[in-house]
Amino acid sequence: MSFLVLESIKKSFGQTQVVKDFNMSIEKGEFVSFLGPSGCGKTTVLRMIAGFESPSDGAISINGRNQNALKTNQRNIGMVFQAYALFPNMNVFDNVAFGLKVAGKSKTEIETRVKEMLTLIGLDHLADRYPYQMSGGQQQRVALARALAPKPQVLLLDEPLSALDAKIRVSLREEIREIQRRLGITTVFVTHDQEEALSISDRVVVMNAGRADQIGTPSEIYNRPTTRFVASFVGTLNIIEATVVDPAANTVKVGENTIRLRESIGALKGGDKLSIALRPEAGSLLENAKGDTSLTGQVISSHFLGSVIRTKLDVGGNQISFDMFNSPDAVLPQPGETLTLRFNAHDFLIIRD
Amino acid sequence: MKAHKIFAWLAIAIGAIYFFIPLIGTFEFSLRMRRGAYSFDAYQSVFTDAQFRATFGFSMLMALVTIVVGMLLIVPTAYWVRLRLPQMRPVVEFITLLPLVIPAIVIVFGYLRLYNSSSWIPFTGSTQGTNVLLTFSYVTLALPYMYRSVDTAMRTIDVRTLTEAAEILGAKWPTIMFRCIFPNVMSGVLSGAFITFAIVMGEFTMAALLNRPAFGPYLQLVGANKAYEPSALAVIAFAITWLSMGLIQLVSRFGKLSPSRP
Repeated sequence: MSFLVLESIKKSFGQTQVVKDFNMSIEKGEFVSFLGPSGCGKTTVLRMIAGFESPSDGAISINGRNQNALKTNQRNIGMVFQAYALFPNMNVFDNVAFGLKVAGKSKTEIETRVKEMLTLIGLDHLADRYPYQMSGGQQQRVALARALAPKPQVLLLDEPLSALDAKIRVSLREEIREIQRRLGITTVFVTHDQEEALSISDRVVVMNAGRADQIGTPSEIYNRPTTRFVASFVGTLNIIEATVVDPAANTVKVGENTIRLRESIGALKGGDKLSIALRPEAGSLLENAKGDTSLTGQVISSHFLGSVIRTKLDVGGNQISFDMFNSPDAVLPQPGETLTLRFNAHDFLIIRD
Repeated sequence: MKAHKIFAWLAIAIGAIYFFIPLIGTFEFSLRMRRGAYSFDAYQSVFTDAQFRATFGFSMLMALVTIVVGMLLIVPTAYWVRLRLPQMRPVVEFITLLPLVIPAIVIVFGYLRLYNSSSWIPFTGSTQGTNVLLTFSYVTLALPYMYRSVDTAMRTIDVRTLTEAAEILGAKWPTIMFRCIFPNVMSGVLSGAFITFAIVMGEFTMAALLNRPAFGPYLQLVGANKAYEPSALAVIAFAITWLSMGLIQLVSRFGKLSPSRP
C-alpha cells in the first residue's frame, strides 16, 4: 500500500472549485513534485495534506491512517515555506529546536538533534545567528533543518526556492534532493518552475485547473506529454497542424511534406485535422543526420544564443522552431533560405486535448 | 537661503514659542515659592504630601493593571482579526476609534447607569468593584492607541505564515501566541503600554466621577487650593508624559534593530 494517498480530493472556496477530483498515491521515500501555473490548485493540495485546509470531499491518508480528522499539529508533517517563516525572535538553534521543545523532548535530546540537523545543512557554525543576520539561502536551509528536526513522516516544500536568486536556487535544490535521499523521507514539492521539478523529482504531477493532467517520471512528462496543456507547459514545443492522408498507413501531410507517424491514427479519416508536436531539439539540419523523416520549409529567422542557434522555419503555414548546438564552423541560416529538417518519426507526439 | 526654507523655519519657531513659552512660564513660576529666590520648595511640598504619594501610587497601579488587561484583550483580538477575520477589520477599527469620539463623561455616565449598586452587575457597590470598573474604563480610553500600536507591529510580521509554521511543528494556540507572536510584536505592545501609562496618569473624568483617589483628581484639587504646587505638578505630569514618549521612541528603535522578516 502507498505511503501517502490522496483519494478523490475536492476543494471549493465558495462557489469556486479549485481542486477537482484529485487522486494520487505516493510511495515511501519518493520525491514528488506538483508542477503547474499559478492558480492550478497545487498549493491548495499541499495545504490540505498539511491540514491548513480541509478537503470538501475525499480522503487523505498517511501510512494507512486517515488524516482528515487530525489537526495540523497532530499530523507530524514537516513543511518549508516560500517565505522561510523562521521565527524572528529566535536564533538558528532555537528555531531548529522549536518542534522538539513543543514535542517535550529532553534538553540533551534537543541539543543532539539540533546539532545533527545543523551539520546536515552545513550551518553548525551559525547556531547563534538570528534570521535577519543570514542570507535567504541560509535562512531556507535553517527552515529545512527545522522542518526535519522532529523526524516528520512527510516533508512538504511549498515553492521553497522561488524567493532565492538563480545560482542559490540551483545549488539548494540539489542539496534538498541529496538530503531527502539520505534521509529517505517522503517529500512533496510544489513549484511552478519546470526545470526544478524535472531535475530533482522521482515523479512529477502536472496540474491544470484543479486536476492532475499527467503523472509520470520527468522523462515521461517531457518526452511523452499526454495533453496539449502538458506539452505546452513543460518545455518548448512546436504544435503543428497536420492533415490526415491515409489513416491506415498513419500518414499525415504538413505543407508539402508527407510524414508517417509511429502512433496509430486509425480512428481518424482522410482529410481530418490533427495536432502533432515536435521538440525544438529533436531535428537536425545535417545531411548525414540520423532520422527517417524530414520537413522542408523556408527560414523565417535565425538567432545565435550562445550555446545554441535557434532557427524558425515556415512549413506549410506552421512556424517550427528548432535548436542546434553551436560550433565554431556553424553558419547562421539566412531568412528565405530553404532548409530540410531531419528527425525520427517517433519524435512526433500526437496531441490530444 | 530660499524663501520656502525661511517660512519653514518661521513656522517651526512660532510652533516652538507657542509650546515652550507657557511651559517655561509654568516651570519658572513653580520655582518662586520662596520669596525673592528660586527654589524647589513647591516640588518638595508636593513630594512630601502623603496624598500625592497615595494618589500617584494608586494611579500607577491602575496604569499597570490597565496595561495588562488591555494587552490580554487587544493582542489576541488583533491577532485573530489579522489571521482569521480580515473582513471584520473595518468593524474592529471603528469600535476601537469610538472612545475618541464619545466623550469620557458620556462613557462614565453610561457605566454608572449600567453598573450602579442597584443594577444586575453592581460594580460600584464595593471599592474593589469600582476599581475594576475604573480599570475597564481606562482600557476603553486607551483602546484606540493600544490597538493601533499592536496592529502596526503585527503588520510588520507575516502572522499567518509564522502561525502555520508553528502549528505544523506541533504547537498549540498558547505556544503560538506567547512564543511566536507576542515576542515579535513586543515593540508595539510596549509602545501601547507607555501611551496607556501616560493616559491613565493624567486622567481626571473617570476617576473623579467614580470617586477614586487617583492622580488626576488630586491635580485638580491641588490646583484649586494652592498657588505654586499646581505648577510643579504640571511640570511633573509633563515629565511623566515625556518619559513615556522617550521610552516609546527607544522601544521603536529597539524594534527596528531586532530580528526582521525574510
